[in-house]
Amino acid sequence: MIEIKNLTKYYGRGESRFKALDDVSVRINDGEFVVILGASGSGKSTFLNVISGLEAMDGGSVAYDGQTLERMSEKELTKFRRENTAYIFQQYYLLPHLTVEKNVRMGADLAHNKDILPVLEAVGLAEKRRKFPAELSGGEQQRVAIARALAKNPRVLFLDEPTGALDEKTGRLVLDYMINLQAKQDFTMIMVTHNANIAQTADRIIKMNSGKIVGITENADKKTAYEIGW
Amino acid sequence: MIVSIKDSVKLFGISIMTCCAVTVCNLFLNYYLDLAAIADLIDNPVSQMLYDAQMMTAKVVCAVSGGCLAATTVVMLFFYIKHYIDSHSREIGILKALGYSDFKIARGFSVFGLSVFSGCIIGYLLSFVLMPRFYELQNADDYIPDIAISIHWELFVFLVLLPAVAFSLIAVGYSMIKLNQPCVNLLKGVAKEQGKSRDGRDKKSFVEDMKSSVLRGRKTLIFFIAFSAFCFSAMIQMSASMKDLASEMMGFMIFIIGVVLAFTTLYIAVTTVIRSNQQSVTMMRVFGYESAECKRSVLDGYRPAAYIGFVIGSVYQYALLRIMVDIVFAGVEGVPAYEFDFPVCLITLAAFIVVYEGIMFAYGQSMKEIPLKQIMSE
Ligand SMILES: Nc1ncnc2c1ncn2[C@@H]1O[C@H](COP(=O)(O)OP(=O)(O)OP(=O)(O)O)[C@@H](O)[C@H]1O
Ligand SMILES: [Mg+2]
Repeated sequence: MIEIKNLTKYYGRGESRFKALDDVSVRINDGEFVVILGASGSGKSTFLNVISGLEAMDGGSVAYDGQTLERMSEKELTKFRRENTAYIFQQYYLLPHLTVEKNVRMGADLAHNKDILPVLEAVGLAEKRRKFPAELSGGEQQRVAIARALAKNPRVLFLDEPTGALDEKTGRLVLDYMINLQAKQDFTMIMVTHNANIAQTADRIIKMNSGKIVGITENADKKTAYEIGW
Repeated sequence: MIVSIKDSVKLFGISIMTCCAVTVCNLFLNYYLDLAAIADLIDNPVSQMLYDAQMMTAKVVCAVSGGCLAATTVVMLFFYIKHYIDSHSREIGILKALGYSDFKIARGFSVFGLSVFSGCIIGYLLSFVLMPRFYELQNADDYIPDIAISIHWELFVFLVLLPAVAFSLIAVGYSMIKLNQPCVNLLKGVAKEQGKSRDGRDKKSFVEDMKSSVLRGRKTLIFFIAFSAFCFSAMIQMSASMKDLASEMMGFMIFIIGVVLAFTTLYIAVTTVIRSNQQSVTMMRVFGYESAECKRSVLDGYRPAAYIGFVIGSVYQYALLRIMVDIVFAGVEGVPAYEFDFPVCLITLAAFIVVYEGIMFAYGQSMKEIPLKQIMSE
């Protein structure tokens, strides 16, 4: 369980100090799929980066099963990320000079995961494992990023607009992969999007505006990636 | 024109390199010409022998240091141009798509000649600052009549103007070659085949894979790192021997040049490696790799090159001084015996280990930060 209490985050200092997160509190359960929905600039990415231990917070607390991030040293945070989290971004950020297989190895090595073939098969890229990122389509590249994250066996998977750079067809495909894998493997999934349709696939929707949570809705009518509008 | 004068400022490595080369060459060549002018005044065999030895030294030093540094400058120039084209491939691709010819784009690279020019002119002026003391020391024993410094304009042409023009032309020529590729490749920034290996059978760990791909990606940097260690090793050891063989000033000059060259090339190489792998390192950090592991995968691959460079430098300086003492100064009396100086070599090695590993460690520490925002805005 992730317990987030009174989280605040500022950017800049002095006159230009800007409150990117303003007293955010929420609790996220294990195995839950949560979407963070909000307009551009509402603080979604900041929220994700802070609760995943990539950026420092200025106030409040983030606790994973009682383990609090704010007290961790830089070394402990690295260890925390290594053991618990994985990340997928809108820009895939694959390593351009390494093959698909070796990109996936980047995640797998951290979990001492020797056999990466099942993960590659799960995202349908076993055939293309000797290709380089530049030789793949956008959707395929994003699936490599997914495989890289999954190979790490994360407890919590963070996604920042994972379908933002994809067209409708590939976007649905990638989203569908994610949702099915999450249901099967039962990790916690926290996804940022500004698309209200995509939010309909989640267990719970957290709405953000100007650095604040303005609404949390249980999504009783959970849809699949192929049932939503785009 | 996409290459601006500001870009030529970034080539300070080239300026420093040429500055060192021109300082040394102008000192010795100016001396050589002034010496040649008084050939008639030498009246006894002892002076004649010393005179000949000094003439020879001037030629050897110029050829060796000038040649070495000129060659390295060419390599560095090529590296900069390639790097520039790689990192601006999109803009260049757009220009080509708009119908700019290769020559029209390549022409802009001639401003890189400015870096050569500025280095040369500074070196030229610097050599005149050092010259009075240099002349005095060269003739400390008074075997040769005192020589007055005269300014030789032909040296200005050969050491300043000509190199600037030549390097401008080389820059244009080389960039023409590099630009000669389909503009789609430039637009897409299609990564060159080098740096890539499809070999998937090996069971190396990710960090090891990353290490070899970083090495393969920028082979020129292997040369730079080796060269940096070479300069450090050769020049510092040589400067220690020079104190006995020639003069304190010579020793000091060589020491300074060695240290400056070593640090400049190392700085250029390491910052380039780190910048071009920034995104990969950031992703590794995001996934929970420690900064030490990131450092290992990005920087440690160059360590063998550094130590090999050091060894070559030691051998090189020994061979050079051996030749100087045995051939150039053969028969000149009062030249101290020369042997390989093991204590100095060991001290230099120790200093090298401390400095090199220390710098690498410091760069590794800088990988603690995760500049997510920075890579995202790129
Ligand atoms: N490094 C920074 N320095 C200053 N301000 C920042 C910084 N990073 C983000 N901000 C500001 O914080 C606010 C929230 O940014 P954030 O990236 O979290 O928004 P977002 O909801 O993810 O938007 P988008 O949907 O466009 O990605 C924005 O107003 C942004 O300008
Ligand atoms: Mg964002």
